[in-house]
Amino acid sequence: MGEAVDNSTDFSAPAMVEGIAHVVEVDDAVAWLVPEQTTSCGSCASASACGAKGIGTTASRLEARRFQLVNDIGLRVGERVVVGIRENALLKASITAYVIPLATLLLAGALAQWTAGSDVVTMVAMFAGLVFGLWLARIGAGRLLLRGDLAPRFLRRASAGEMCNLE
Amino acid sequence: MKEYILLMVSAALVNNVILARFLGLCSFMGVTTRIDTAVGMGMATTFVITVSSMADWVVEAALLEPYHLGYLRTVTFILVIAAAVQFTEMIIRKVSPPLFQMLGIYLPLITTNCAVLGVALLLVEGRMSFISSTLFAFSSSIGYSLVMVIFAGLRERLTLANIPRLFAGPPIGFIVASLLALAFMGFSGMSAS
Repeated sequence: MGEAVDNSTDFSAPAMVEGIAHVVEVDDAVAWLVPEQTTSCGSCASASACGAKGIGTTASRLEARRFQLVNDIGLRVGERVVVGIRENALLKASITAYVIPLATLLLAGALAQWTAGSDVVTMVAMFAGLVFGLWLARIGAGRLLLRGDLAPRFLRRASAGEMCNLE
Repeated sequence: MKEYILLMVSAALVNNVILARFLGLCSFMGVTTRIDTAVGMGMATTFVITVSSMADWVVEAALLEPYHLGYLRTVTFILVIAAAVQFTEMIIRKVSPPLFQMLGIYLPLITTNCAVLGVALLLVEGRMSFISSTLFAFSSSIGYSLVMVIFAGLRERLTLANIPRLFAGPPIGFIVASLLALAFMGFSGMSAS
């Protein structure tokens, strides 16, 4: 009883995508976290010329990705924790955000080209399709959120020197 | 209809962006350690390539060609791509903040992906109609995503293999990439007849 179970070879267990986050605020039963900048980005050889750094500051980008966790494990400000989302959640999110708008865009364009055969009409139809697709994506994202698929889960406290994406 | 299908097959498989044109190699080696990240990157890139190529076509047809500003093409296209990436990021953030929190990491990386600029420049070379150029861009990005996912799958399997220390890591990655490129060369025999 109480022994740690090694589930690294349990392929039936849902695979998680892990990341490290910092606790930046604790508000009653809710902890606010900011994802840690990955080393692959920060220490890249092209870091000084990287376009990803030019678009807003790194701090502002990380702040924009701030998220909350239910603090039933007594997290404190400044702690590093490992959080995870299910692998298929990333797939579902990608499909919702990119595939749905792209599918409606192409469908609307194909229909317009087939019926009107004009570039201008096709362009307008594609834009309308994109807007419609984004509206559908919003509904889809709302459903995923309600089911809790988009919420990161607390996995463990990060050990000293623990990094993510080091495989 | 047949010409559109041929165009799509040619762009996705025969002249694959990564394995035949050698574009987007940075993300090909950097974001393929896991299948899920490769899928996320592939979908984001597909969206951005398609949308930015549409915008590039409009800029080329309405501005660069009529005013003979071809020498500004590369700079203009880079600007359009950066704007398309920012637009996509802004829209996703507005439409669904949780989705942005989960997927936002991939978007800025795409700005510096040469495959996006490469496809836009190929469209100009091809002198295609709007719908053809959109389908070409979409198919090219599907080809890009396909190769990313296949390569990520192979690399995931490689982590379970007993590889000699000399070849472990990037060397075996490059060897696998070359074998994948050889396999894709098989598509070059496909013809319309």
